[in-house]
Amino acid sequence: MTAHEDRQTGAVGFKDVPGQPMFHRVLNAQPMIVRATLMDVRRRFARDVGDDTLGRLELVLAELMNNVAEHAPTGKERPRRVPVIHLCVVRHNGGLACALTDDGTSLPDECVLPRSLPAAIPDDLPEGGFGWFLIQDLTQALCYYRRESRNYLAFNIPFSADGEG
Amino acid sequence: MKFIVEDAATHLQIKVTETRIDAAIATPFKDKLREIVMKNRKPVHLDMAAVDFMDSSGLGAMIAVRKSLPANLAMVLCAMTPNVERVFRLTRMDSVFDIRADATGKDIRE
Repeated sequence: MTAHEDRQTGAVGFKDVPGQPMFHRVLNAQPMIVRATLMDVRRRFARDVGDDTLGRLELVLAELMNNVAEHAPTGKERPRRVPVIHLCVVRHNGGLACALTDDGTSLPDECVLPRSLPAAIPDDLPEGGFGWFLIQDLTQALCYYRRESRNYLAFNIPFSADGEG
Repeated sequence: MKFIVEDAATHLQIKVTETRIDAAIATPFKDKLREIVMKNRKPVHLDMAAVDFMDSSGLGAMIAVRKSLPANLAMVLCAMTPNVERVFRLTRMDSVFDIRADATGKDIRE
């Protein structure tokens, strides 16, 4: 393609734009598909984002997407309808901006309200209730709303304080 | 689900071969590991070096196995990767388990 043709297609300079890596995927909310998606997210950002930040991103996305799978609608439909998740992650100067929407059940209010760890009673340790604590602990600017049949979540995963990026 | 189990007289040395303990496998992981530790009734040293990801359902499975052991039998978690260690630290469950850096659970402070 000549320079003249480049201009005509609007492709001038496109290769030179310092774009930020991005990940976008539409997936069924099922544990094995969530697992494969998380491994793809890790591969997508491995070159540009430090291990610590990637680890925090992976944990938050795992908690959120597995929640959608676990709390899938239990209507009369047979086979049961599997919710569909749209996931988008973009690297920016302050971290990794994430947007996640799904058509599963709506989130109970207490998920996004400030929360603490489940009580660690020595003889009867909690085996659950950690997921939303981890999500809240590891994210910034977490916001949630539901419109019609979809949940919308957006948040940021900051880079480490040591500037690993 | 595969665990490499070695009876080390004083304790049971178990190597976890799964690389991810997540929602996809938490229940069979818990059932299998619980069966192993219940049968042997010994302190357990779990070699976690191969595990590079664990989520809250994996943590729940580990806690369930800990609870299936009598309180006087230790459950030592050895050679955890930083990604897995983070989950224990953030949830304060690092105070419930005996966590050691060495794969065999040798206490380096001795």
